Amino acid sequence: MTTVDVAPQTASEDWAAPILSDAEYRWRARRYRFRTVRRAAGFLSPYLIIWGVFLAVPAVWGVFLSFNQGGLIRGDPRVFVGFDNWSRTLSDSELRTAVRNTSIYVVIAIGVVFTLAIFLASLLNHYRKGSNFFKVALYFPLLAPPILGALMWFFMVNFDFGILNLLKRGIFGGDGIRFLGDNPHALLTIVAVEVWRGLGFWVLFYLAGLQSVPEELQAAAKVDGAGKWRRFRRVTVPTLRPLLLFALVIAVIFNFQLFDSVQVLTDGGPRLGTATVVWFIHKRLFKFQDTGLAYASSVGMLIVVLILTGLSFWLLGKRRQREA
Amino acid sequence: MAEVILRQLTKHFGSVEAVQDVTLRIPDGEFLVLLGPSGCGKSTILRLIAGLEDATGGEILIDGELINFQDPTKRNVAMVFQNYALYPHMTVYKNVAFPLETARMGKAEVAEAVQRAAEMLEIEALLKRLPEQLSGGQRQRVALARAIVRQPLVFLMDEPLSNLDAQLRLQTRFELMGLHERLGITTIYVTHDQVEAMTMGQRIAVMRHGRIQQMGDPTEVYDVPANTFVATFLGAPPMNLVEGSLVRDNGQVSFRFEGYELAVDPATAGIAPDVLADATGEAQLGVRPEHLTLASPDAEGLPGVVRFLEPVGSDLFVSVNVAGRPVQVRMPPETRVSTGANVRLAFDPARSHLFGADAQNLRA
Amino acid sequence: MTESTATDVGADMTDDDVITDGPTDLAAPDAPDAPPPSEAAAMAARLAEAGRAKRISDRSRKVVAYVILSLFVVIAIGPAFYLISPAFRDSVSLFTYPPEWIPSEPTLENYRFLFSSTSYVRWAINTLIFAGSTTLLTLVTNSMAGYAFARLRFPGRNLLFFVILATLMVPVAAVLAPTYLTVNTIGDWPVIGDWIDIDTYLGLILPSAVSPLGVFMMRQFIETLPDGLYEAARLDGAGEWRIFTKIVLPLIKPALVVLGIFVFMLTWASYLWPLVAATDNEFRVLTVGIASLKGQFVTDWGILAAASLLTIVPVTIIFLFFQKWFVQASMAGALKQ
Repeated sequence: MTTVDVAPQTASEDWAAPILSDAEYRWRARRYRFRTVRRAAGFLSPYLIIWGVFLAVPAVWGVFLSFNQGGLIRGDPRVFVGFDNWSRTLSDSELRTAVRNTSIYVVIAIGVVFTLAIFLASLLNHYRKGSNFFKVALYFPLLAPPILGALMWFFMVNFDFGILNLLKRGIFGGDGIRFLGDNPHALLTIVAVEVWRGLGFWVLFYLAGLQSVPEELQAAAKVDGAGKWRRFRRVTVPTLRPLLLFALVIAVIFNFQLFDSVQVLTDGGPRLGTATVVWFIHKRLFKFQDTGLAYASSVGMLIVVLILTGLSFWLLGKRRQREA
Repeated sequence: MAEVILRQLTKHFGSVEAVQDVTLRIPDGEFLVLLGPSGCGKSTILRLIAGLEDATGGEILIDGELINFQDPTKRNVAMVFQNYALYPHMTVYKNVAFPLETARMGKAEVAEAVQRAAEMLEIEALLKRLPEQLSGGQRQRVALARAIVRQPLVFLMDEPLSNLDAQLRLQTRFELMGLHERLGITTIYVTHDQVEAMTMGQRIAVMRHGRIQQMGDPTEVYDVPANTFVATFLGAPPMNLVEGSLVRDNGQVSFRFEGYELAVDPATAGIAPDVLADATGEAQLGVRPEHLTLASPDAEGLPGVVRFLEPVGSDLFVSVNVAGRPVQVRMPPETRVSTGANVRLAFDPARSHLFGADAQNLRA
Repeated sequence: MTESTATDVGADMTDDDVITDGPTDLAAPDAPDAPPPSEAAAMAARLAEAGRAKRISDRSRKVVAYVILSLFVVIAIGPAFYLISPAFRDSVSLFTYPPEWIPSEPTLENYRFLFSSTSYVRWAINTLIFAGSTTLLTLVTNSMAGYAFARLRFPGRNLLFFVILATLMVPVAAVLAPTYLTVNTIGDWPVIGDWIDIDTYLGLILPSAVSPLGVFMMRQFIETLPDGLYEAARLDGAGEWRIFTKIVLPLIKPALVVLGIFVFMLTWASYLWPLVAATDNEFRVLTVGIASLKGQFVTDWGILAAASLLTIVPVTIIFLFFQKWFVQASMAGALKQ
C-alpha cells in the first residue's frame, strides 16, 4: 500500500526475510530478558542474604516462637504451649504495668518534646542571627549514645551531689529529691532525659519543615492583616500538618522502644515504676524466666510497629500527593 | 563492512506503538538520516539498534549477525546523545579513554588512541578538564571523540546538534560530514531538522507515527514525495496543497476545485494512465512554491490576490489568496509586486503532484 | 501609613492641583477625606510613638527569645560539663556538703584505673571494629541493592522493594529472641559457626546491618542520576559492575558519606543487641562496658565520669569539624524522601 522505497539498490529481496521462526524468537527474547534477573540477583544478594537471615527469617520465626516456652539457651528445652503465652499477655500484671508505663512515657515525652521543639524551631526560624550555633548546641545530646546521655543525668540527679539537688537544697533547704528512687519521679526523670536527648533532632526537623512553608503564603497572610498567632494557625499548621502526623507516628514507634536509659538508670524500678515493654522483654528473655511471655509480647510489638509503619508511609504518600 | 538491516522492527510501550513494522537496509558506510517530528519513533529505532530498548518484534542485523539478543555492551555500536552524557566526574581524557579501558586495552595503546581521536576533533588542549569546564560545542566534540575512539561498527547520533547555537550547528555539521568521509563508518543520524537531513544524509528516511513514510536520497524525497506528509514536512515554506477531486469525463481526467478545472495529462504528470483512471474521487494537488510563477492578470493561470510579501534577501515569498486559500509562491527578490494586486498563478504540470484519497502520491 | 493616605488624597485631586502645588499641599483642607492639619500632626506624633513602642517591644522580645534559646543550650550541653569535675577527683570528695566545685586535689587516678584495671581500651577497639564494619557492610550492600532497585528492571521489583521497606522500622527488641536464636543456631554449624556466633564479631555485626533505610536512600539518590550516563556507559561496553563502581559510586559520594555517618552514629550508640550478643569481655563494646561500670550496688563515680567524658570528647571534636554532614545525616532518616 505504502510506496516505501526501502532498498532500491538490492538485486534480490532476500535480506528482508526473517531468519528466526516465531517460536525461536520468543524463546530467545525470554532468555535475553532474563539476564536482568541474573544481574539484579547479583546486586541484591549481599543485602538480601543479610536481611533475610538476620531480619526476615527471625521475624517469621518470632511468630512461631510465640507459641513456645523456653529454648533460648542450650539445656533449656523448647516446649510448645499453644496460645498459652498469648492469653497470658492479657493478664500478666508485670506486662500490664510495663505497657502502662511505656504509654504514659510516650504521651508525656512526645507532648513535651514536640511542644518545645515547635516553639524553639519557630524562634530559630524568626531570629536567624546565630541560629547555626543554637542548632549545633541543641544537637549535641544526640552525639552521645543513649547510655552515656543517661549516665550524664545520673550525675545531674544524684541525691548527694547532683546539681539539681544541690540547687534545691541551697534554695529551699531540706533534703534532696530521690529522682530515681521514688515514684512517679523516676519515670518523669526518664522522660526528662529522653526529651533532653531528642529535642535537638525535633527542633531541626521542624525548622526544616517551617522553612519549607512557602514565603509567599506567609506574605499573603501578612498583607491580609492576619496576626502572628493567626498566621501560625492558619498558614503554618495546615502546611505542616501531614509532616506533623508523620513525625508523630515515627516518634511513637521510636519512643515505644524505650530501654537504654531505663536499664542504666533504674533497671525498671523502683517497684516496676519505670518498667517498659522492651525492658520487660529483655528481662524475661535473659533472666530466662517465662520466656514465652516475652516471645508473645515481642510479636505483639512487631505487629503494632508494622501497622504504624504502614500508617507513616500512607501519611508520607499523602504529603507527596499534596506537593504534587 | 558493517551493513545494518532492520526487519519488521516493532516496539510498543504499553499501548503506544512507537515503532511499527520498520524494514530497511543500510549499506556499509552509508550516512542515513531518520527524519520526522518528535514522537515519530526515530529515536526509538536508534535505541533499539543500540540495545537500550528491547524490541517487541522484528530483527536487527549488523553485518548479517542477529543482535537482538546481544547485550548493548557487545554490539560495538557508539552513540552520541543529545545532551552528550559525558561522565561529569571524569576528565576529558578519562571520558574518551573509558570505552578503551573498559575493553582492557593497554595503557600506552589507550593513550595513543585517545591522542588520535583528540587530534581529529581538535580537543587536545582540553584533555585535562572536567566536562563542567567546557562549552556546549566542546562537550559535543568530546562526546564525538568518545564515540569514534574505539572504532565502532555503527555510529548512532541522536539529535547531536540540537543543543548548539545556530552558528556552531552549521560548523559542526560540516565537521560531522568530514568525519564520516574520513572514517567511512555506517552512521544513523536522527533529527527533526530538515535542513540537517537534506544536507547531511546520503539517504533520508522520513518517519511518522512509528512508520517509515518514504526512504530515498534527499533530492528524490524532495522531488517526488510519497505522500502529503512528506510533501509538507520537507521544504520551507512547505508544498502548497489544494483539496479538490479528480473527475473523469470522456476518458479525460481533470482536477476540480472551487469551480476550477485543470486537465491532467498522465504523461506530463508522470502518472501511469491506469493509476490515474482508478484514482477518481477526493484528491489533492500539490505544487512547491518555487514551481509557481506570478503572471499579470491578463495571462493564463489561476486568478488570485496578493496578501503578504516576505522578502528574505535571496528570494521573495509571496502569499497569494486563491479561491479563499493562501498559496505560497517563491519569486526572485527583484520581482515587483504589491499587496492587493490581482495576479495569475502559473505552474508547470510536470512539477506538480497529485495525491489520491489515501494521501499517497499518484506518481509511480 | 500617613504617606499612603497622602497619596490617595493626591489621586483624588485634579491634575492641575497636583502639578502646580506639589506634594507639600497634599493634605490640604479641600481634600475630602484628609484630617485637618493640626489633627494630622497629632496623629503623626501618635504613630511615631507607637512605632517607638513597637520597636522597644520588638527588642525586648528578641532579648527574651535569645535568653530562652541560651537556656536550652545550657541544658543541652551542661550535663557533659558536669562530668568534668568528678572525672578528675577522688569519688569520696564528691559527697562533701557544701559542694566543692573545683577539686582541691585534682587527680588522674580515675583515668589510670580506667586504663589499667578495666578493659576500656578493648571496648573502644571493639566499638571501632563493630561500628566501622557495620558501616562499611551497610554501605556496600545498600548501595548495591539501591542500584538494583533504581536501575535494573526485573520482574517483582516493586513487590520485593515493598516487602523490604515494610521492615524499615522493626525494633531490635521485637526480634531480639529469634535473632539471638538464629545467631546461636548458626554458631552450632560447622566452620561457619566459628565465625558467626554469640560472642563473635560477625555475630555482633551482621544483625546490625539489616536496616533497609540505606537501600531506600541509595535508590532515591541513584534514580536522580541522568539515564544518559548509564546508557552511554553501557554502549561504551561497560557491564553493570563497572558502571556501578566507575560511574555510579563516584557520583553518589555525598549520599554515601551521609549514610555512613548516620549508620556509624547509630551503631556505636546501640546497646540492646551488643548487650545480649557480646557478653564476653573480649567482644564487649563501649556502651555495654561503660554501663557495666555502674555497679549494681556500689558505683565508683569518678571512674564512671572519666569513662563517659573520655568517650564523648573525641566524638564532639569530630562533630564540630563535620557538623554540616552530621545534621544532614540525622535528617536523612526523616526528611530525605
